Amino acid sequence: MAQATPPLWEFVDVCKAYPGVLANDKVCIKLLDGSIHGLLGENGCGKSTLIKTLSGVQQPDSGQILFKGKVVQISGPQDARDKGIATVFQEFSIVPTLSVGENIFLGNMPKNRFGVIDWGKVNASAAAVLAEMEIDINPEAITGNLSVGEQQLVEIAKAVAMKARMIILDEPTAALGEDEIERLHQLLRKMRGQGTAILYVSHRLDEVERIVDEVTILRSGRVVRASGETEINVSDIVSAMVGEDIAEHYPKEHNAKKDIVLHAANLSTKNGVEDASFDLHKGEVLGLGGVLGSGRTEIARALFGVDALTGGTVTLNGAPLKVRNEINAIEAGLALVPENRKFDGLFFNFRASGNITAASLGGLSRLGILDLNAEDAGTHKLIKELEISPQAEQKTVNFLSGGNQQKIVIARWLFSDAKVLIFDEPTQGIDIGAKIAVYKLINALTRAGKSIILISSDHDELLAMSDRIAVVQHGNISRTVSASDLTHDDLVRASATQITHAATEERQ
Amino acid sequence: MKRVFDSQLIGPFAAMVIVMLVVALTTDRFLSPGNLSNLSLQVSIVALIAIGSTIVIFAAGIDLSSGSMVALLTMILAQFLKVAGIPLLLAVPLILIVGGLLGLALGMITAYGRIPSFITTLAALIAFRGLALTFNNGSPIFSLDPALEPLFYGKIAGIPMPFFYLVFFYALASFMMNFTKLGREIYAVGGNPAAAVLTGINVRKVQTLTFVIAGFMTAVGAVLMSARLNSGSPNYGQTLELQAIAAAVVGGASLAGGRGNILATLMGAMTIVIVQNGLNLNAAPSSVQNIVLGAIILLAVGIDMWRTEISTLLARVLGRSDQSPQGAGTAKPALSKDN
Repeated sequence: MAQATPPLWEFVDVCKAYPGVLANDKVCIKLLDGSIHGLLGENGCGKSTLIKTLSGVQQPDSGQILFKGKVVQISGPQDARDKGIATVFQEFSIVPTLSVGENIFLGNMPKNRFGVIDWGKVNASAAAVLAEMEIDINPEAITGNLSVGEQQLVEIAKAVAMKARMIILDEPTAALGEDEIERLHQLLRKMRGQGTAILYVSHRLDEVERIVDEVTILRSGRVVRASGETEINVSDIVSAMVGEDIAEHYPKEHNAKKDIVLHAANLSTKNGVEDASFDLHKGEVLGLGGVLGSGRTEIARALFGVDALTGGTVTLNGAPLKVRNEINAIEAGLALVPENRKFDGLFFNFRASGNITAASLGGLSRLGILDLNAEDAGTHKLIKELEISPQAEQKTVNFLSGGNQQKIVIARWLFSDAKVLIFDEPTQGIDIGAKIAVYKLINALTRAGKSIILISSDHDELLAMSDRIAVVQHGNISRTVSASDLTHDDLVRASATQITHAATEERQ
Repeated sequence: MKRVFDSQLIGPFAAMVIVMLVVALTTDRFLSPGNLSNLSLQVSIVALIAIGSTIVIFAAGIDLSSGSMVALLTMILAQFLKVAGIPLLLAVPLILIVGGLLGLALGMITAYGRIPSFITTLAALIAFRGLALTFNNGSPIFSLDPALEPLFYGKIAGIPMPFFYLVFFYALASFMMNFTKLGREIYAVGGNPAAAVLTGINVRKVQTLTFVIAGFMTAVGAVLMSARLNSGSPNYGQTLELQAIAAAVVGGASLAGGRGNILATLMGAMTIVIVQNGLNLNAAPSSVQNIVLGAIILLAVGIDMWRTEISTLLARVLGRSDQSPQGAGTAKPALSKDN
């Protein structure tokens, strides 16, 4: 069948590299008219890179893009729209202060012959689009007042209004409740019936199973299952996404001792931690498992003094620990390697040395004057030990790869000799070599008797590198188990059910 | 020494030398001892105030209040000397303390009150001028103290006093920025406040201290302003804050914070004053001077922003392949995720 009419869009051997990462490696994909195509893979597998290329946000380094069998170039986002590609990104691109009609026709407002916006036509056309989609939303309503689900539908109405032949949906249901998801799926099926090609990206495999016609699975930038090469059911997809040879990527050492270093009892905060209790042993890696929004990061923030505790106590080495802010936490020997190293971790105006010593300036100075020789010697030693690029000594850190940058953020806490380190998504967006380097660092730290709290959306990493795993649900730790007693599937399923639960609860 | 005189000084230094050469070649009086000594007097007040303005900018703030604060402080100094009868030797340190306290107030409102420094100091720019007018029915106060003038016009070994103030305060500021914990923290806060919080730096305290320093340096400028005319006036220091910021910017300080060398601000101030001096010597009207000053500010920032393009162009013109710009004004990376 495919031979008769060429696919609407086709990628042939498309490659795209970022500094230190080959994000898309000879990716091929065919997107057909009237088909919902699932694009799946774990974080950092190259999905968003592919989407960005197709929506014209970036240009591929090599490879071909074919439109109805002919080689074309998508030169920019506007060009993509002109070619009938509409992208509904994860972050809404809706202007909350404008009306629904204005949002639908934003950038393309119907005007009268004097060049003035024709409001009658804006509202009438918007009403027509919404009616066609069988959505009951007033085009004159202010978009920000609608529910998140309705806003998502408005976002899709924008795509319908521009008569897109190809719609890309990136995590369209992340913020939706069950019946809103059902409404969205009905709409997608209707559009499919009208011949629209839909690329559907989602982490929620249960719903993928329900809606998609075919799937392409990416891993580490490569297509590991092309359309038709896998059954569309959760367990086949999971095993394809994860791959079988992962174990050797995790050089785990078990250094946990019996002594309890940190004891958290009944922690609660205003932003979602509820009665969370756990122990952290000397030399242990305690993984916090759970989905985004489960309260993992919030527990870390509470420990580190970013969010104030509304209840509960923390004991460090047997003594009660009162942490009012980050400064107290650092003085007590805690360290946080934040999730987003670009925004929260690095000083781009400093070279490696300034970044590494930033948390130790007090110890490095006498009467307020810095011992710059000690700084140079100490950071030079760390840069060598951690095999950070020697360029880091001369250049500001924005010139370095993500892996080098992450090592520098971790080196900061080696320099400050922190006792308890909280790693929030420490390997996000860095390549496999740098990941292994980070794992080896974790080993070196635990060997030296430091304790680590590890937060990661990468379930394999979490399972392989943790000694024990505390499963976080709704800001509470539902159970703490030895990492070897859990499987990847357990965690994926636990996460998936939690989303469904959370969604149902919200609806009630 | 490498830390103090780094590559960030090359551009501002070259700019200063170029304008010097141009002015020296187009006028015959520029290099006369009288003119050079006059230059150091002219540059001193704005260059001293610019130390504070630059340090605030390093921490990603902005200080618009210094011009009005100069007016207010000259009036307070006049009150101290003429009304309260405080001796000069006590009045001057008191004014420096008052300047520091005003800076402390602005800094605390900004850092702890979470009001952007642009707004805090804009309000102060307006209010301080008004406050200055409340003294002496808004009229200047003359003949403050015969011992005041030598602070500005005095000479040691034939070198004007302001030269020594410049050397002293710039050396001190350069030492602070390059060799002390506070200096490093100022750069860190300006570079990435969120990261600074997570590394245990007391961001609010550091931000506040930059304003205390700015208030103190403004007070130094105010004392010299009073000494220069032996008077206090609510009209002193008009647009001085903008000249000080211009000196910082021409010296290559990034308004986004975290980048720049304090000594470059001195060169920036010199560049501006030399250009003004050259136009004066060539009898250009003040309207032209302002237009040229505006153009210099744009050019200085433009050269920094377009340095990659310029070096590519230069490489093409000169037929060289080496074109990588080093160090200083490196652009911040685009805010994109890794993947």
